[in-house]
Amino acid sequence: MSEATGLRQPKKASADLFRKLGVEPVPDNEKVQEAIRHLDDFRFRVRSFVMAMESCVKCGACAEACHTYLGTRDPNNIPAGRVDLIRKAYKRYFTVQGQLFPGLVGAQDLDLETIEKWYSYFYQCSECRRCAHVCPFGIDTAEVTFIARQILYWLGIAPQLHAATAEAILRTGNHMGLTKAGIEDTLEFLAEEIEEDYDGLKVEFPVDKPNSDILYVPSSADFMLNPNTLKGAAMFFKYVGANWTISSEITEAGNFGYLSDQSRIQREMVTRLFREATKLGVKKIVWGECGHGWRAAKMYPPTVSDLPGVKRIPITHIHDEVEAYIKAGRLELDPKRNDRKVTLHDPCNYARACGHSDNMRVIMNAVVPKGAFVEMKPSREANFCCGGGSGILFDDPDMYQFRILASNKKAEQVRETGADTLCAPCSICKAQLYPMVKEHKLPVEVVGLIDLVGHALVFRD
Amino acid sequence: MPFVEVEGKQIEVDEDGFMVDPSQWWPGWAHYVAKQEGISELTDRHWQVIEFLKDYYAKTGIAPMIRKLCKESGIPLKEMYELFPTGPAKGACKCAGLPKPTGCV
Amino acid sequence: MDLIIGQILPYTAAVVFIGGVTWRIWRWMIPRIVHNITLSPWPASWSAAIVWILWQFATFWNLLKFDRPLWAGAWFMHIALFLMLGGHIAAFYTVGLQFHLMAPGIITPEMSLALSDWIGTVLGLIFLVALLYLLGRRLVNEQVRNISSASDFLHLFLLIGIAALGNIMRLFPDYHLGYAPVREYLAGLFLFNPQPLPDHTLFIMKYTLVMTLMIVFPFSKLMHSFGFFWERWIVNRPYKEPARGLPGARLQLRK
Repeated sequence: MSEATGLRQPKKASADLFRKLGVEPVPDNEKVQEAIRHLDDFRFRVRSFVMAMESCVKCGACAEACHTYLGTRDPNNIPAGRVDLIRKAYKRYFTVQGQLFPGLVGAQDLDLETIEKWYSYFYQCSECRRCAHVCPFGIDTAEVTFIARQILYWLGIAPQLHAATAEAILRTGNHMGLTKAGIEDTLEFLAEEIEEDYDGLKVEFPVDKPNSDILYVPSSADFMLNPNTLKGAAMFFKYVGANWTISSEITEAGNFGYLSDQSRIQREMVTRLFREATKLGVKKIVWGECGHGWRAAKMYPPTVSDLPGVKRIPITHIHDEVEAYIKAGRLELDPKRNDRKVTLHDPCNYARACGHSDNMRVIMNAVVPKGAFVEMKPSREANFCCGGGSGILFDDPDMYQFRILASNKKAEQVRETGADTLCAPCSICKAQLYPMVKEHKLPVEVVGLIDLVGHALVFRD
Repeated sequence: MPFVEVEGKQIEVDEDGFMVDPSQWWPGWAHYVAKQEGISELTDRHWQVIEFLKDYYAKTGIAPMIRKLCKESGIPLKEMYELFPTGPAKGACKCAGLPKPTGCV
Repeated sequence: MDLIIGQILPYTAAVVFIGGVTWRIWRWMIPRIVHNITLSPWPASWSAAIVWILWQFATFWNLLKFDRPLWAGAWFMHIALFLMLGGHIAAFYTVGLQFHLMAPGIITPEMSLALSDWIGTVLGLIFLVALLYLLGRRLVNEQVRNISSASDFLHLFLLIGIAALGNIMRLFPDYHLGYAPVREYLAGLFLFNPQPLPDHTLFIMKYTLVMTLMIVFPFSKLMHSFGFFWERWIVNRPYKEPARGLPGARLQLRK
C-alpha cells in the first residue's frame, strides 16, 4: 500500500516519464481545479458519462456482479460506490441539489485525498463491463473509469506500467518495445519450431512484405510469452494460402492508450495502424488475440481515425475468419490432436463488447473432441473477468496480492469445470492467468484459441 | 529518474530499479540485483542465463522469447524459476541490465 | 393556507416538474454518444433494439435474472405505482365509472365503483409493502447501505408517506374521501377556475407530499425513469459486422 495515503495503489510513473510522453504533471495545489475543469468539459461531450452520473438509483445490483468487489469486499469497489468517488464531486459542482444540500444528497467537495482514491480504485476496476451487463439501466461504469483514468493521466498520475508502455508505443509502435531485428529473429525461431514439431512443415512469417493482401496484427506479448498463438495464426494463413504479413511498425494488437490516455496514445495507435496498412497496400487487417485492443480496433476506428490522411481498411479478428472457414467447411481439422479437457474463459471485451461469444465456440467445438469442451458457469456475456483486465497487471507486492484476490472468482469457476486446459484467447488474460493458476494451485495449462487451431490443422500437400 | 549507488558507481534506474542504460552493465550490477531478488549466490547456471540475455539484447534490442531463452541457454523453464524466483522476464532481465518488460507480461 | 397549498403550490409543482424534467433531458442531449459502446450480444437491428429496451422496461429483466430479491420489491413497487397513477387519473376523471365506460353493457356503474375501490386497495397495499421491503433492504443489506446517501432514504420516506396516507383513506371509512369533491377541486385547477380544497386533513397532507415529490423529482435520482431510456439507447444498439473472407488467399470461403 502507498505509505502516504494508506491506499492500495500501483507504483506511479515519474514526472520525467510523463514529460517524455509530452505531459507536464500538474502541481498538487492545482490538481483539484484542473480535475474539476476536465469533469466540466466531459459532461458536455460524453453522454455515456453523464448518464452514468445521473441515472444511478443505488440499488446495489452491481455489487455481486463485480469480481473486484467479490475479491476485496471493499465498498469503494462496488461499481456504484466506485463511480460515487466522482459522482460526489459531480453533484457538488454541477447539480442544483448538490450545490444547495450537499450533505443530504451525498455531494462532496473534491480534494487531493479523493484524487488519490480515484487513482487507487479506478486502477482496481478492470473495465470489464459486467456491471453494465447486470445493471437494470445498463449504466456502463467502465465509461467512468475511462474518464477518471484520462483525467489522472492529464494530471500526471498513471501507473508506471501504463506510462512505460505508452512510452514504448511512441518509440516502437508496440507495448514491449520490440525491434525489427528482434521480431524477425523470434519469428525465425518459431518457423524452426514448426518445422521440427510438424513433420518438416515450412511456414513463413513475412515481415513488412510490400504488396501483401492481409496485415496480421499480433499482440506483442506473443513474442515473449505466447509463441503458440503466433504459430497457430501463421499455420492458418499458410493453410488457406494467404498473402499476409506482419508489420514491424505496428506489431501490437493491444492499445494501452485505450486504457489510460484515449485522447492521444489510443489515436496514435489507430493512426499508425492505418498508415502502415496503406503503405503495405493491404486489403484487409486481421487482428490477433487481444481483448481490449480488439475492442479499440473494432468499435472505435469510426470515431477515432478522423485524423487527416487516414484511410480506413476493413478489420476482422482472426477468430472471425477461422470461424467463417470452419462454417464453410474449408478447413480439415483433427480434434483428436487436442485431446484434453478444456474450458473457455470468455475475455470480457470479446464477450460484452465485441460479440464474440459464438465464434469462439464454433472454433472450440471444431478443434477439440466431442465432449471435451466444458463451459464455465457463468459464461459468455455473463462471464467474470480474469482479474487483470484493462492492464492492471502490476507486480509490486501489494498490487500483486490484489490481482490474486481479484481472480478468486475466476479460480473458483475454473476449478468447478474440472478442466486440465484453460483457453483464454487474450494477452492480458494470459498474462494474468499464467501466474494466477499457480497462486490458486489450479492444475490447468493456459493456452490461446488459435494455438488449438494451428495444432489441429491437417496439412495434405 | 532515481539513482542508486552500487560499488561506488551512480547508476540511473527506472521506478522498478531496472538499469536505464544497459551499456553501464558490469558483473557487480548482477550481484547487486541478485541480492535484492533474494538470490543468495550467482552460480554458473545463473551466469549462463545472464550472458545469453546480454548477448541477445545487444544483437536484437529485445529480450528473447522465454521458450527461446530456455532452449538456447539449455536451462528448462522450471529451473529458470528456481534460479530467478521472479521469473526470467523480470529477475533475470534485471540482473542482465535489460529494461523492464512493458505491456501484457 | 387554502391559497398556498390549494392554488399556488399546485401550479408551482407542475411548472417545476415539467420544466425541470425538460431541462434535465435537454442537458442529456447536449453531450454526444461518441463511440458505439453497445453491449454484446447486440440487437440485430434498431427495431430489435427497441423491443429489447421495452422488454427490459416492462419486466426489469436484469434484476429478475441477476438479483431476484431486489426484483421482487422493485418490480411490484413500480407496477403498482404505474397502475395506480393510471387509476387515479381514470377514477378522478370519471368519478369511479371508468370500468363502466369501458364496457357499458357488462359492467354497471355500481360494479365499476366497487372494482375501482377493490383494485385501488390491493395495489395500494402492494405498493406500501413493496416500499417497506425496499426500505428494509436498504437498511439491512450492508452493500446497499454503504452506497446510500440520506436522499436515498428520504425518497423512500416520501413515497411511503404518500402510500400510507392513501391506504388509511381507503381502509378506514372514517377517513374516506369520495372522488367527487376531489374532482371538483382538480377540475378547477385545470380550468383555471379556482375551487376550494376539500376540507379533509389527510387529503391535504397527502396532496402536499405529492406536490413535494413533483418538485423534488427533476433534481433527484427519480429521473431514472427517463434516464433508463437514454442510457439503454447508448448501450443497446445494433452493430454491422464487416464481411468475412481473406482477399487474395488461395483457399476462398466459396469454391
